[in-house]
Amino acid sequence: MDLDLAEFALNHALKLGAKYADVRLETTRTNEFILKNGIPQMAGFDRVQGMGIKINSGGCFGFVSTNELEKEKIKEVIEKAMKVTSAACRITEPAVMSEEPVETADYEVKQKVNLEDLSPKEKLNVLFDIEKSIASTKIDVPGRFFSMADFYTEKYFINSEGTKILSKIPRVDLWYFLTINDNGKTAQRYWQYGDAGGFDKITNRNFPELLKNEILKADENLKKGIKPPKDKIDIVVGPQVTGIMVHESVGHPYEADRILGREAAQAGETFIKQDMLNTRIGSNAVNIFDDPTIEESFGHYLYDDDGVKARKRHLMKNGIINEFLHNRNTAATMNTKSNGASRATGFDREAIVRMANTYVAPGEHSEEELIEGVKHGIFMKNFMEWNIDDKRLNAKYTGAESYIIENGKIGEPVFAPIIEISTPVLWGAVDATAKNMEYHSGTCGKAEPMQAIPVWFGGPSMRIRNITLGNKE
Amino acid sequence: MNLMQEKETVAKSLLDKFAKAGANDVIVHINEDQSAQIKFANSKIATTQSWTTAKAEVFVAVNKRLVTTTIKDFSEQAISDSVSRIMKFANSIPPTDDYGGIAEGPFNYKELENTFDSKIIDLNEKAVDMTEAALNAAEKNGSKRSAGVLEWSSNNSYLLTTNNIEAEDKATKLYFSLRAFVDKYASGHRVCNSRILSGFNPEEIAAGAAETARQAVNPVQSKEGVYDVLFEPLPFSNILTQIGESFSIFNVESHLSCLAGKIGQQVADKSVTITDDGTLPNGYGSGKFDAEGVPTQKNVLIEDGVLKTFLHNTSSAKRHNVKTTANAGLISPSAFNVVFNNGKLNKEEIISTMKKGLIVTNVWYTRFQNYADGDFSTIPRDGMFMVENGKITGAVKELRISDNLLNILKNVAAIGSKPDQVFGWEVEMPVTTPPVLVKDVHFTKSVA
Repeated sequence: MDLDLAEFALNHALKLGAKYADVRLETTRTNEFILKNGIPQMAGFDRVQGMGIKINSGGCFGFVSTNELEKEKIKEVIEKAMKVTSAACRITEPAVMSEEPVETADYEVKQKVNLEDLSPKEKLNVLFDIEKSIASTKIDVPGRFFSMADFYTEKYFINSEGTKILSKIPRVDLWYFLTINDNGKTAQRYWQYGDAGGFDKITNRNFPELLKNEILKADENLKKGIKPPKDKIDIVVGPQVTGIMVHESVGHPYEADRILGREAAQAGETFIKQDMLNTRIGSNAVNIFDDPTIEESFGHYLYDDDGVKARKRHLMKNGIINEFLHNRNTAATMNTKSNGASRATGFDREAIVRMANTYVAPGEHSEEELIEGVKHGIFMKNFMEWNIDDKRLNAKYTGAESYIIENGKIGEPVFAPIIEISTPVLWGAVDATAKNMEYHSGTCGKAEPMQAIPVWFGGPSMRIRNITLGNKE
Repeated sequence: MNLMQEKETVAKSLLDKFAKAGANDVIVHINEDQSAQIKFANSKIATTQSWTTAKAEVFVAVNKRLVTTTIKDFSEQAISDSVSRIMKFANSIPPTDDYGGIAEGPFNYKELENTFDSKIIDLNEKAVDMTEAALNAAEKNGSKRSAGVLEWSSNNSYLLTTNNIEAEDKATKLYFSLRAFVDKYASGHRVCNSRILSGFNPEEIAAGAAETARQAVNPVQSKEGVYDVLFEPLPFSNILTQIGESFSIFNVESHLSCLAGKIGQQVADKSVTITDDGTLPNGYGSGKFDAEGVPTQKNVLIEDGVLKTFLHNTSSAKRHNVKTTANAGLISPSAFNVVFNNGKLNKEEIISTMKKGLIVTNVWYTRFQNYADGDFSTIPRDGMFMVENGKITGAVKELRISDNLLNILKNVAAIGSKPDQVFGWEVEMPVTTPPVLVKDVHFTKSVA
C-alpha cells in the first residue's frame, strides 16, 4: 500500500476546512471456494483496495470512499463529500467525539501456516475430505453446501489528531449447510467457524471428524427425536446456544448507537436506556464480556476504526448492566470515554458501534454437574432457527441437537424444542454456568448499507431454571 | 485512467490474452458506480456518505475450471500479470463437472422504460432539501422522531464475452426509508424506490409512516394463536423475498428451497400469480441483460397457483434440459423484480371482509428452521392492528409469526389492487406487491 496516499487525503480534507478527518487505507486479499453436493462451484480470488475518509465539515459528519486511488480522484471525491456534508449541517446534531489519547502502533496477527503458502487445490482438499467423512456415515445427506474463505487485511488508519495505526490481520472462515433425509422427513443444520490466523486454524479444527459427528447426531435426532415437554422444566444450553443468546440479547442491546436511536430505522433500537446503567437484568450468576483483544479470535483487533486502543469490556457484572459499547461519537454524547468498539467492515463503510467477541464468563461447574442438577428438563446443545425483536426483548431459539434430561441424566433425543423468551426472564433464570468455554463465530449484520462483520460469541453451558417451552403441538 | 472511457480497449485486451492463454469462456464485466446516502436519526441528519467504485469483474472457464476475480490495474503489463495469475489459479483447482457453458450471442437489447434519469446523478445538495421536507412531513403528521435514509446512485456497465456478446447499460436509483416514532411502542415504517425522480415522493412516505405510528399508540398484549392477516406491501415483500430466493435453481439444488420437486404442482392459492420481470419499467432490479449478457425477460414463476419454472442461467438450464430464463448469476441465478399480481379490492374493502384478524405493517428477522420444508418465523414490528368485524379496534404488540412459506402461499384469501415497489433492509430482492390477506397464520409469543 502507498501509505502516503492516506496522508495526502487527510491533508486535502483539512486544507478544505475539515475540523477533523480520519483515513482508512485498506487492502484485502481473499480466496474463496464453494463445494455443493460434492462438486466445486466457482472459486474466486481478489485483491480489494480502497480508501475511506471520515470528515467533520462545518460541525457535522460525512464519509466518503473510493477504490480509485489516484490523487486527482481522491481530491474530487473529498471535495464533493464536503459540499454535501456542509449542506446537511443545517439539520444535523453537532458532530461530537470523546477526547482520546493519540496512538501509534504497528501490529500483525501471525500465521503458522501462511495463507499464501497453500495452493487452491490444497485448500479445496479440506472440503473434499469433509465430503468423504460424511459419505463414510452411510447416512442420506442430500444437501451438502460448504463455503470456505481466507482474507488478509492490511489497514492503515490515520487521523488529524496524529494517531497512526498499521494493522495486518489474516482471517479464515468455513461455513456449512447440511440437509439430512430420513424417508422424506428432513432436518437441516448449518454452522460457521472463523478465526484470525493462518490456514492452520482450518486444519487444526479437524472438520471431517466434526462434521461426521454433526451428521450422526442430526440423524439420530431426526429418527428418534420425541416431542418436547410442555410443562415447566429446567434447560441446560450448550455453548453455541449460550453464544447466540449473549450476542443477540446482551451484545446488541448494549450498543450505544442503538440506545441513542441512530440505527432506529434499520438494525432497530433496544429496550435498554441510557439511565439503566447499574440496573439488574440478570441473576448473580451472569457475567458477560466483550473482548476484541483475544488473540486469534474472529473479531480480533487491538485498535478500533476510530483509532482507539481496544480493551476488554465488562458488559454485565453479576447480573447488573455495567457498561455499554461505545465509539467516540456515542461516548461523547453520553459524556464518557470510548471503549474501542468502533468497527467498519471495509474501507467503503463508515465505522459504527459493533461487538467483537461477546461471551458469558465461565463458572465453576462441569457441564455434567449442571445436568445432574436437573430433575426434569432438556439439554439443547445447538440450534437452527432464531430471531429477536428490534428492541432485543423477545427472542426465539429452536433447538437442533437436543435431549431430554430426567433425574440428572441425559435421555432420548428431543426434536426441535423452542425457547421463546424475553431477555430479562432469560438472564434472570440462569442459576449456574459451567467451565466448558467455547467460542463460536458469526458474521454479524447491522447498518444500511449492510455491514456484515466477523465476531465470536460464546461462553460455557448454562442452566436456565423453570421455563415453559414454546412448542404447542 | 477513466475506466468507462477505455472499456472496449480494456475488455478486448483481457479477452485476447485469456484466449491466447487457453481459456474457453471469458466474461469481462466493467462497472462504474457512484452512490450517496443521507442517514438521519432523531429527526436530524446523522451523516452523509458517498461511494465511488470502478472495476472489471472477470469470469474465466478453463476446461470446466471456473474462476472469478476483480481487476483494478489496467496497464498492459498489469493485465498480462492478472491473466497469468488467473490461469495459474484455474489450473490448480478441480473441474466443475456439471458446468454447461455460457450464452452464445450476439443479442439485440431493448431500451428499458424509466430506468435512467440523469437528474439523479448529481442530486447531492438537493437531497438534503428532500430529506428536510420529508422530516417536516413526518413531524407535521405526528412523528416525534424519525430515522431512515435517502440514497441515490448511478451505474454504468459494459459486458464483453468470448461468445459474441457485447452489451452496455446505465442505471439510476432512488431509495427512501423512514421510520416514524410517536412513543416507545408506537412506530410506523414506509419505504419507496424508484429509478426516476418523477413520482418519487419521500414526503408522502414520511406522512404515511407517521400516520401508522399515530395509530399504533397504546398497543396491548395480544394472545398467541391463529389469525387472518392483512400484510401490507412492506412485510409481504419480506416474505416474497424468501419465496423469490426459492425459485433459484441453485437454492433448489442446495435444498434451500421449499419449491423443489413441485414444478407443475399447485403451490399457492389459484388467485396467485408471481412473475419475475427483468424488464419492468421503473423496476428497481431491471436491467438490459443478465450476468452472461442474455437479454432479460419476463418469466411467469407461479401462474394461477401452479409452479411453472425455476430461475436458470445457461449452465443450469443445460443441466436441467430447459432454456435459460436469463437470470444469471454465474453461481446462483437470481430474480430481478419479483412481482405479485394485483387483485381488485382496495385495502379498506379487504379489512371490511375480516371477521377477526391482524394488520401487519412491517416484519423483520425472518429465519428458517428448515428451508426445504419452508418452516420459518418472522417478527412483526411497527404498527400492528387488531381487526374485529371489519373494523380496526386497536394496536397490539409483541407477537411472532411462526408458520410455513407454502402455507402462506396456499392461504392467500384476498389481494389488494394497489401495489408498492419495495427494496431495502431485509428485502434485498426488489419486490412489487399489493397488500395481501392470508388466512390462518400462526402467531406465538414469549413464554414467561
